[in-house]
Amino acid sequence: MLKLATKSLLNRKVSVLLTVVAIAVSVALLLAVERVKEQVQENFANTVSGTDLIVGPRGSQTQLLLASVFHIGSMTNTMSWASFEDIASRREISWAVPISLGDSVQGLPVVATTDGYFKHYKYANQQALELNQGRWFEANEQAVLGAEAAQQLQKNVGDSLTIAHGSGGLSFSEHDQHPIAVVGVLERTGTPVDQAVYVSLETIETVHGIEQQHSDEHHHEHHHPAESISAALLGLKVKPLALRLQREFNTYDAEPLTALMPGLTLQQLWKTLNVFEQTLNGMSALVVLIGLIGMLTILLASLRERRREMAVLRAVGAGPVTLFTLLVTEAVLVTLAATLAGLGLLYALQWSLQGVIHTQTGILFSLNFPTAAEWWRMGLVVVAGFLLSLIPAWRAYRQSLSDGLTVKV
Amino acid sequence: MSTAAVELTDVKFSWPAQRPTLDIPHWQVEQAGTMLLRGASGSGKSTLLSLLAGVNTPQQGKIELLGTDLARLSARNRDKFRADHIGYIFQQFNLLPYLSALDNVLLGVQFSKQRRQRLRDPAEKTANDYLTRLGLSQRQQHQPAAELSVGQQQRVAAARALIGAPELLIADEPTSALDADRRDRFINLLLELSNANGTTVIFVTHDASLAKQFQFCTELSDINRVTSSLAEADDA
Repeated sequence: MLKLATKSLLNRKVSVLLTVVAIAVSVALLLAVERVKEQVQENFANTVSGTDLIVGPRGSQTQLLLASVFHIGSMTNTMSWASFEDIASRREISWAVPISLGDSVQGLPVVATTDGYFKHYKYANQQALELNQGRWFEANEQAVLGAEAAQQLQKNVGDSLTIAHGSGGLSFSEHDQHPIAVVGVLERTGTPVDQAVYVSLETIETVHGIEQQHSDEHHHEHHHPAESISAALLGLKVKPLALRLQREFNTYDAEPLTALMPGLTLQQLWKTLNVFEQTLNGMSALVVLIGLIGMLTILLASLRERRREMAVLRAVGAGPVTLFTLLVTEAVLVTLAATLAGLGLLYALQWSLQGVIHTQTGILFSLNFPTAAEWWRMGLVVVAGFLLSLIPAWRAYRQSLSDGLTVKV
Repeated sequence: MSTAAVELTDVKFSWPAQRPTLDIPHWQVEQAGTMLLRGASGSGKSTLLSLLAGVNTPQQGKIELLGTDLARLSARNRDKFRADHIGYIFQQFNLLPYLSALDNVLLGVQFSKQRRQRLRDPAEKTANDYLTRLGLSQRQQHQPAAELSVGQQQRVAAARALIGAPELLIADEPTSALDADRRDRFINLLLELSNANGTTVIFVTHDASLAKQFQFCTELSDINRVTSSLAEADDA
């Protein structure tokens, strides 16, 4: 039966192949939606670990999280150094790392921070940052590059770079007067950390200070590394206090602040994006359905030409049930082949686009074995193919009963 | 148990919503006999063959094949009975175009364990022997059936109908597409091979000139009470 079905399909190579391709592409799409969702979520979840709270100026939690950790979007407000110092000095806080954003090097984000960032920032499974070359910056006008940033800028320890104001690729004001020396390159982490350039807060102040001296009234009276910062990453001594502290910072008296717990905010973000995900899912499911209907059309159209074939099979003793099974087998073979081809296509696409996606978005799509959810989707496609095949199979069954051995064409 | 391979008693049949096509009070074919059944086109020949093959069942009467009353078998068992005991050759388009000649012959035993068991040699070898005797070269045997000439296709069909030595061979005008010379040779081969197996042959044709090659000859109009002119309108 299997051999018969295979040979019969091979006899109609071209139309069958086109059907397989159509279904395969739709299956790849269906799987891609799931895979992108899962890996983006995993990547995001892997990016911050060990940071209990993030505090920044009043605004949306999502914006604060995306800007401070993922370097997506920008922050318009700042929080004062005084507030940071006050928060950092609290008893519950184990460590506090200030970060200041808003500058870039050839489109890559510059993160101005302290050496606490290197010490306390953790990703994936509580993994600390490590240096691939050189050392963490110790003085003004020194920079450490993320692995990807080093590659993209083609800079290494000993080279120098210039910081531009603003986050665009082409900036109007490049601070050429302040060449920054690269003193270290970080080990690759597979997170947005790889894409950033790290400098001290003072470096950024100096770079801006020069500019602002031209414009007037900026004085370095206090011994602050910075006047204001974009956000602060906090580690707590007692983790369960996070909720209480978050509430306190959200109602901070001195200035309006927003505090968030990274994991929770991410979950809220996914919830918001759920609608889009469902829409994409629905659309790709429809595309699969269209592919399967294409197969159905081909099977139904071929039935008319195959009436003699059916009569021959009847003559050698095949019952109507056998013909029914033959058609179902053909359809299931087509869907199975198409589903596997779709999976292959997905891996091929992933493999070929991996590099581009990583440099563009910092998200590393790993070529892992299909997940349970993906197997489910593939299974559903095959089941749908099977169910649809019942239609032509039923027609063949009826036809063989009415035709008997005499085909009236 | 009768000695007849085929016996029809009071068989009446009409296609749904049509006037009767067949009304045969009695007709029989001897075991191992060769029977030519002659009838004008549209006299109900194909209908009678469908009944004999158990694809359709008469509204009335009894059809006994090899002592088995077909009406007593379920549709499924009639299919099995056909697979086990009947070889069938169509007028044309006998083969699955995408299978090789050899695989088409093997179809003859694919649906019947009984016919497989009757083979003395492995099925492939038997099929190969038949086709060689019927004049197909090794290369032609492995060609897709669609690439063979009509005459070759009919010979492949004969091999399929005869492999596994079924008791009954039904041929529905298998020579209508062949010229006189090829037709006679085809019939001789067919009869020779079925004789070796002890197979009963029912050969249907509109051509009375073939009668001399067969032991028996029946005019369908002699056994069918429905007059030909009436049936003509119904049987395409």
